[in-house]
Amino acid sequence: MKFSRRDLVKAAAAAAFFPLSPKAAFAGNWAALEAEARGQTVYFNAWAGSEAINAYIDWAAELLKARHDVTLLHVKIADAAEVVRRVRDEVKAGKAEGSADLVWINGENFRAMKAGKLLFGPFASALPNFKYVDTAGKPTTLIDFAEPTDGLESPWGMAQLTFFGDGAKISAPPRSMDELVAFAKTNPGRVSYPAPPDFHGTTFVKQALHESIADRSLLALPAERIDFGRAIAPLINFLDGLHPHLWRQGKQFPQSQAQLKQMQADGELLMALTFNPNEPANLIASGALPDTTVAWQYRAGTIGNTHFVAIPINSKARAAAQVVANFLLSPEAQGRKADLKTWGDPTVLASAKLSAEEAKFFGTSVVPGRVAEAAPALPEPHGSWVPLLEKAWLESYGT
Amino acid sequence: MKNFLNSFAGFLPLGVLWLGPLGAGLLAVLYGALDEAAWRALFGHPQLWPALALSIGTGTLSLIISVLLAFWIVAGLYGGKLWPGTSGLMGGFLSLPHLAFAIGLGFLITPSGLLARVIGSAAGWAAPPQWVTTQDPYGLSLVAVLVLKEVPFLIWLISAQLARPEVSQLLRGHFRVSQSLGHGGASVWLRVFIPQILPRLKWPLLIVWFYGASVVDVALAIGPTQPPPLSVIVWSDLNNADTAINARGTTGALFLTAALGCLALVFAVLKKAILPSVWRYFTRGPSRRRTPRITSGALLLFFCAVYALVFAVLCVMSIGTLWPYPDLFPSELRWSAWSQFLMSPAPLLNSLSLALASTLAALALAVFWLETVPEKLDAALLACGIAALALPSLLIADGQYLAFLRLGLNGTWLGVFLAHLTPVFAYVFIVLKGPYRAFDPRYRAVALGLNADNYRFWSVVKLAMMKPALAAAAAVGIGVSIAQYVPTQLIAAGRLTTLPVEAVTLASGGSRPLMAVFALMLAVVPATAFIIAARLGRKPL
Repeated sequence: MKFSRRDLVKAAAAAAFFPLSPKAAFAGNWAALEAEARGQTVYFNAWAGSEAINAYIDWAAELLKARHDVTLLHVKIADAAEVVRRVRDEVKAGKAEGSADLVWINGENFRAMKAGKLLFGPFASALPNFKYVDTAGKPTTLIDFAEPTDGLESPWGMAQLTFFGDGAKISAPPRSMDELVAFAKTNPGRVSYPAPPDFHGTTFVKQALHESIADRSLLALPAERIDFGRAIAPLINFLDGLHPHLWRQGKQFPQSQAQLKQMQADGELLMALTFNPNEPANLIASGALPDTTVAWQYRAGTIGNTHFVAIPINSKARAAAQVVANFLLSPEAQGRKADLKTWGDPTVLASAKLSAEEAKFFGTSVVPGRVAEAAPALPEPHGSWVPLLEKAWLESYGT
Repeated sequence: MKNFLNSFAGFLPLGVLWLGPLGAGLLAVLYGALDEAAWRALFGHPQLWPALALSIGTGTLSLIISVLLAFWIVAGLYGGKLWPGTSGLMGGFLSLPHLAFAIGLGFLITPSGLLARVIGSAAGWAAPPQWVTTQDPYGLSLVAVLVLKEVPFLIWLISAQLARPEVSQLLRGHFRVSQSLGHGGASVWLRVFIPQILPRLKWPLLIVWFYGASVVDVALAIGPTQPPPLSVIVWSDLNNADTAINARGTTGALFLTAALGCLALVFAVLKKAILPSVWRYFTRGPSRRRTPRITSGALLLFFCAVYALVFAVLCVMSIGTLWPYPDLFPSELRWSAWSQFLMSPAPLLNSLSLALASTLAALALAVFWLETVPEKLDAALLACGIAALALPSLLIADGQYLAFLRLGLNGTWLGVFLAHLTPVFAYVFIVLKGPYRAFDPRYRAVALGLNADNYRFWSVVKLAMMKPALAAAAAVGIGVSIAQYVPTQLIAAGRLTTLPVEAVTLASGGSRPLMAVFALMLAVVPATAFIIAARLGRKPL
């Protein structure tokens, strides 16, 4: 790694503002770190749109209190971007004791925090439970939207674009973007996707981009370095063809995935999409969807990524935040998270790395609503594509 | 000198707790707008002009319809049998916050909502119709929510004007004169009453207008999306991760405010230049037209029915976990959303503590001002209060966020308290000022003549006589504080969640029963306050 002199000056200034204890900085002596963490309170800023997730975090908080004397408080937020803004403003105002100790994050928010030097670390690979992470089989645990994590965030769960609908109403689910157009043509006004910049809507557009772009190798490059307009011309062409057959002729879109989901449940739409492959099964289990619901992915693969937890540079409970991150990586916590009855978020761990005892935390039941035929995960385009894609979408379809 | 000190004492707490934060917020937003790149980004936003048109259009249309309907209802019912109950009923409607109402109405009118289900089960529709109701491109459902919420407010204001002894006496006289000149009831309202009442409502109307044109939470729940109103674009800009986009949000808030200000100026000029001749044209000659009693009664009934339906739908929604189309009633009832709400009572407790504290502080500040500062300075404070209410809360809250950042107040209870106090004090002062200043000074002379000292007179006699006014002001203050979404979300920095913050978060995340529970709780707290206030107001001294 190369440091410019300016970086060194900045680092020195940062060190003066936010003195790190050597223990916390290197997480080398885990027992000492755990001792330091005792009695600390971790404000965990995490999206709170789902009851299942909130209940899971409550469960983690109970165990952390009992085993580590760490108080985990769930700061319920609607969008992680709020936290990025808040931390950046706090650091700019010289506030050494920030309001967030742990953030649920990935993608462009991580890129913004990393670029703004707003993250504490590296700490992730020094966590004792990191040894279980499937870094080889799930490369997105180390590369977040084409951005290396550099140990500044610790993997928490896996995500992959998945579609679902009522099997009683859909006989042959569309398994590519071209099939989706045909499906929308036969069912006019019954298909839609959330409007970007909603995260799920942007992912849908990325999927369409991946299937329409002439040269896929461009997707790994920073968007500023390529002829962006030319690269996305086939995408715009594709969306122009799709939109007239969508809900309200593609002139209005649901605002969020939650709304899309609700409209599917109410029968206004035939299908919805999610980033959690287990969400449909989970919704069936909780009684929100009928058990005829089916989930599917595109034959040639769908966009997939990893979500993480990171520690803001001005956290005042860094030791405890690392204890929490480590706990969230434990086979026990990951197994419970993957359980469809609680949350159903796929694990970041490698089952081969687990002992027989540890593997018991993971259930193997087959339940309705599971993705029948898992498809490969396609890499996210470079993070710099996101703002440009959102802008292009807004210019073409926002008015 | 002593007088000066006295008035200074009246200023001091107010300056620290209210004028300071308000002024700091406005300065901070102006300072934040000194960013040329942000203005360029704003004017480069592809949705700017259609979104602005939508904001101004929905705000203006809802104001015009609300004023027409409010006067229609009042003209038909004033003096009749239904009138005494109407004003109390409107106070009750008032306590249901906009957001809660929008959530409930949304479920009535969406294509898979109750209305479609009733028609659909009769007509045998297999799938929900493809209606364009909520999120319609012209924002008409947003206008509907605003109208249904503002009409009770306007009727309540008009009835407060009509209840003033000097006004009602004057109007009675005018009524007799007009009748002997051959005018029917409707004609008297159109030609005599409305021109006298409307100017008295000029500031509340301005507040309603600007509120409708800059509202965030209601627009998020029921407004159009492509493009959304400008307030929603500004809101998402302010919550973005990118500094440059935050700056664009600040300039957007200022731009929306400036556009509304210009529009109000244009209207003021037009009113002077054109309105008199237009009014004369419409009000020529004596007319025997009678007051519209039947349509007014029907309108009142319609309002009652909508409010009752919204409330009932919210109640059923809160216990209906699985409620697929086209069922008219949930197939499964569970109390899980309520128990979940009661298990984590932080939003309710935060809302209550903020509402009580900001209301008590506002009452204390207002009474302190009214006792220590000469009446001639009221107008200046009133102007500040109107500014605090008419300026979009987006603008003030963004400014306070920027200012509180330097003071380390974001994310603290104190910071959120100050942000709530900004609108709460303004309303409390406006409600309290009239009755308090109208207090007959002769009571004081009597009390002092009976050997009571000043403090004893104030605490035993005056406060007791002011109780109805104080209680009404407190109820308004609590209602205002409970409904604050924008400032709470920005300044609480996620540390404090309140009822509306949680309701909007849930609206983004989907559990319908839980959303209904929060909407109901948003209504229950202010309604309780209004009921207690009405009780206190009625009690004989």
